[in-house]
Amino acid sequence: MSSFDIQKPIVELPDQDPDPEFSDEELVWTDAEQEQIAAWKEQYAEDQGAIMKVLWLAQEKFGYLPPEVVKFCGETLDMTFSQAYGVATFYHQYYKEEKGQFVLDVCTCFTCQMCGGYDILHYLEDTLGIHAGETTDDGMFTLQEAECLGACGSAPMMEVSNGPYVHQLTEEKVDALLHSLKDGEMPAFTSVTLPQDEDEMGGNRRTDVDKTITYETQPRAEHME
Amino acid sequence: MEANGMPHDSKAGDWRSYDRVLLPAVEDLHKLEVYEEAENGYGRLRTVLEDDALDSDELINIVKQSGLRGRGGAAFNTGMKWSFMPEKDERPRYLACNADESEPGTFKDRQIMEYNPHLMFEGILIAGYALQIDTCYVYVRGEYADWISHMATELQKAYEKGYVGENIMGSDFSMEIVLHKGAGAYICGEETSLMESVEGKRGYPRYKPPFPAQKGIFGCPTTINNVETLACVPLIMEKGADWFAGTGAEDHPGPVLYGISGHVNRPGVYEYPTGMLVSDLIYEVAGGVRGDKDLKAFVPGGASTPPIPADRIEGVTMNSDSLNEAGTMFGTGGMLILDEDTDMVSWLRRVTHFFQDESCGQCTPCREGTGWLENLVTRIDQGEGNMRDLDLLLDLCDQMEGRTICAFADAASWPVRYTVQRFREDFEAKCKPSVHPVSAEVSGGADSAVAATG
Repeated sequence: MSSFDIQKPIVELPDQDPDPEFSDEELVWTDAEQEQIAAWKEQYAEDQGAIMKVLWLAQEKFGYLPPEVVKFCGETLDMTFSQAYGVATFYHQYYKEEKGQFVLDVCTCFTCQMCGGYDILHYLEDTLGIHAGETTDDGMFTLQEAECLGACGSAPMMEVSNGPYVHQLTEEKVDALLHSLKDGEMPAFTSVTLPQDEDEMGGNRRTDVDKTITYETQPRAEHME
Repeated sequence: MEANGMPHDSKAGDWRSYDRVLLPAVEDLHKLEVYEEAENGYGRLRTVLEDDALDSDELINIVKQSGLRGRGGAAFNTGMKWSFMPEKDERPRYLACNADESEPGTFKDRQIMEYNPHLMFEGILIAGYALQIDTCYVYVRGEYADWISHMATELQKAYEKGYVGENIMGSDFSMEIVLHKGAGAYICGEETSLMESVEGKRGYPRYKPPFPAQKGIFGCPTTINNVETLACVPLIMEKGADWFAGTGAEDHPGPVLYGISGHVNRPGVYEYPTGMLVSDLIYEVAGGVRGDKDLKAFVPGGASTPPIPADRIEGVTMNSDSLNEAGTMFGTGGMLILDEDTDMVSWLRRVTHFFQDESCGQCTPCREGTGWLENLVTRIDQGEGNMRDLDLLLDLCDQMEGRTICAFADAASWPVRYTVQRFREDFEAKCKPSVHPVSAEVSGGADSAVAATG
């Protein structure tokens, strides 16, 4: 007999009216933040233009953007909830639900795919014991599959928590990265040296970055050989 | 094509002794102090502001004469685009610098932002003066968080020096530059979607007309240019339109950043003139295919430019005319090199997944079509496909192309159409054998190497 039940929706929709995570007392801007928002409003002909910046700010402050935070951001700029929520849900990088302490965005778009991006993703899935899109039980890591992050010359690569890029990943590098993240240490900004700089200037042209690497070919993953 | 045994001409001339101009070899060039000192930084802006002969029309003319074509993918003539701006009225006027750079395989604009951001800012200011712009929004993709903060520091320095803001260099020209951080949406690289995003809305592309020059950001006249395009502008002012027009290929001149990635020994971003032979770029510049393997295919500029099989790259150069003749496009110049072991079906599966993931969902043919493209290619990739599916894929492409508000659906269907036609053997090998006849479009076309299957 069919298990189809006309009373039951085929797709379980998320709770449309969840209990708020943040109380009204928590949903306030500090004076410094208000000043910053006022400056952003000046940059656009209409206040609404600043919503993306305000959402970024809120995500930094609250960690993620549940509906009450989005509503709060919208009210700051005289936007309706639906306008603000529409913006928050359009863009991948705004977290609509709570994520782990570190979000690992592994690029698997075709250049990374061809250079072993899926091996890195699968290795992380094995190591962390989760699938892409899930968070570890201890709330430490969220693993995500990302679309092209614009570092194809140093593939495979990933981005950590909407911040620094980690290039030319290997299994050893992933292990070392997870280790340092567990110690609370974010990877440093890495400048990838232009090949022509390497030839003409003997290395990276920037003297103000600590970590530089060169473009090089990564060993191809076994199953791709 | 090699019948006479003569090597093909590179339109890039003597590229081995080429001196870089977009990313010249200067240590710490990203710092304002160094940029002023070593590169006559903001000197070109000063000349433009001080020389009365260089008025708005004249500047647009110079850019037209230079033949500069947009480096963001569409390769539209920049001077022409500028000339679409209407007469100045009471409305504010906007410039948007498109640094969204989300096209897979493309990573060249980031090098300008990292190593020579002031060249971009100077280009923005000269363009702003030519078009009487009030505010420029630099729309940088949200993933480039580190580079945004670096640029913000340098932009602040430029503000303090009086190069940006009120009465620039004591003239009556005032202009603001605002960094706008995106949040991970490929579609926001499309110009009308970018404008919606700057306005603080969902990034749904708009109908054209009205074109951005008539009604753009906040309903005001707007021009949108790519980072690299704007970075070329100060160079044109300094070295002249003739120099620019004489560099590289005639139809598509100038210096250009080639972002080479994939199965090559030395990937990376290289600056050379346009019109380089593809074979030179792969075998001499990027050190050849890794592991001494044979080349299988080459994608000239991002996901939406159709791939070319290795046997067709002979004599093809990196400029619009030559690439169009070869059946593809210049795109962004982010070249992907694929070696002989590449499975084009699995490659295409990832391409279709990308477009499925990034479709904004506004138009039905694209929202539904990209999903079906992915489903079909996935089915073939998993060995469950039928020969008929190849036909169905092409039929689906027909239903998508030109039937949506923006060009996203076209960009999603081109790689599918041409990969299926040009690498048909890969697809056939994965399909279940079929007794159904396959249409002439797949089987008999000039693009197919295999005869029709019964």
